[in-house]
Amino acid sequence: MINRRMGAIVDRGMAPLLLIPSVLLLLLILVGPFLYMVWTGFTDLHFALPGREGSFVGFDNFRRLVREDHIFWHSFLLTLKFVVWVVIIEFIAGFALALLLFHFIQKRRLFLTLLLVPMMLAPVAVGLIWKLLLQGDFGMVTYYLRLIGVIDERTAILSDSSLVLPAIMLIDLWQWTPFVTLIMLAGLLSLPREPYEAAVMDGAGPLQLFRDVTLPLLRPIIALVLLLRGIDAFKEFDKVFILTGGGPGIATELLSIYTYRVNFKDWDLGYGAVCAFMVYLVVLILCAVFYKAVFWGGGQRSRRAGFAR
Amino acid sequence: MTRAWKTAALAAVIVVLVLMLLPYLWIFLTSFKTRLDALADIPVWAFAPTFDHYPKVFIDKGYLPLVWNSIIVATFSTVLSLVVGAPAAYVFARFDFRGKEDLFFFFLTTRMAPPISIVVPMFLLFTTLGITDKPIAVILAHTTFNLSLVVWMMRGFFDDIPRDIDEAAMMDGHSQFGTFLKILVPLAAPGLAATAVLCFILSWNEFLYAFILVAFEGRTLTVGIPGLITPHGTLWGQVAAVAVVATLPILVFTFIVQKHLVRGLTFGAVKG
Repeated sequence: MINRRMGAIVDRGMAPLLLIPSVLLLLLILVGPFLYMVWTGFTDLHFALPGREGSFVGFDNFRRLVREDHIFWHSFLLTLKFVVWVVIIEFIAGFALALLLFHFIQKRRLFLTLLLVPMMLAPVAVGLIWKLLLQGDFGMVTYYLRLIGVIDERTAILSDSSLVLPAIMLIDLWQWTPFVTLIMLAGLLSLPREPYEAAVMDGAGPLQLFRDVTLPLLRPIIALVLLLRGIDAFKEFDKVFILTGGGPGIATELLSIYTYRVNFKDWDLGYGAVCAFMVYLVVLILCAVFYKAVFWGGGQRSRRAGFAR
Repeated sequence: MTRAWKTAALAAVIVVLVLMLLPYLWIFLTSFKTRLDALADIPVWAFAPTFDHYPKVFIDKGYLPLVWNSIIVATFSTVLSLVVGAPAAYVFARFDFRGKEDLFFFFLTTRMAPPISIVVPMFLLFTTLGITDKPIAVILAHTTFNLSLVVWMMRGFFDDIPRDIDEAAMMDGHSQFGTFLKILVPLAAPGLAATAVLCFILSWNEFLYAFILVAFEGRTLTVGIPGLITPHGTLWGQVAAVAVVATLPILVFTFIVQKHLVRGLTFGAVKG
């Protein structure tokens, strides 16, 4: 109603005028490159081989991806495995920590502040820190792991193909568990009191309260956390690039690392564009799920469905 | 009973905190260790500090310009995103038009876009335009995620301002744009500042775009990090010094915006 009156008073042209620069900028720096990537996927562009100047090859690159490229699918499955594990573990650990803070600790501010440190560090710096800690001959963590007998004298975690992926997952856990804690704690703090009072009146115990009141109320926030972490984990590049570069062999070659290698090591840009497109496609799908799950319905009111105070 | 539980919980939280902070403490300590201490077989916790690594890597090895590049890139990407994004956020908060929520979703997808996908064509595009290895390339690249962060976060902050205020301002004779600029922007200033700091952090921490788009003169601090790691004889003291300089300012910023962090990290979905 106010909107209509505003429109009547003032120039209606202002809204598009204020909106268009942002849309144009995104078209230029995002949609443009995206379309160019799709086009490149249909060409044989290659910077390292002569005579591959980017002529049209139809669906050849897609065919190669689906039928011949075992490494791509290895990377794809590896990435899925990585995403599923880290999201589940980070969620459980982060939520548990949030519950601890929520129920048992009154002065949380200092804890929260310190807890933020790992997730605000540049991921490259995180990779670097852990590369130092996990060095085979003098790494601090390596030393103590050997001392308590978790690994033997000769094992260097980052060059052991069976230990390296779990190690990277643990590092991701170290970096992003605070994120889950922070968001879940905010969610817990925003919950209304009444449902709890009603449930207690009905004689519910603490476990029942958690299962029948807390969890359902937190559902939108849980969806939000899982999807945000899922999308980010799927894009993981920086830490792995510094820590292992995808190695040893291809043991930690996540999809983004593989795509990097095809494009900027092999310079096979036509095929690399198809790989990049696949990464984008998965993220877009996750994104759509995110939007549906968290901001369902659209529109002003339901935009923060379920957890606006 | 409750008291015992509280103590146990406190102990658990403290253990977690120590685990979270020790790795960072270690790199901090390493930046002040002599080569002998840094490479010792048994971890050295107490040592006579050396302050050589910082001047060595930043002055002698010429890493100081990288700090400057990072500041330039993060600042301009933040300013560009705010100038272009805040008015758009205002439109989303105050106007209704067809396809509004779809356009809003489009902004979200750009925030989520995987850098590895966008950087390949961007690299080709910027090579054609001849702007690789210049800060402008990274500034534009970082605007891909910062712009949509601004639109999403600022929409929430504008939504928080009651519409009565707009109406009153316009009754007083402000034009609509005047209302936005002179009334709403000042009212949303704390949110605007928090958004700016978050943009700055995201840009400062970003690696992949910068790594691909600039190689020499235009390198940012994060791009300088892998160059210091060599298969043999990595100078860990210097590496640690760079890591500390690359992270410490960001931690300070984080504490400044802590109040708005939850909102920023969830695209305004959770107010925190």
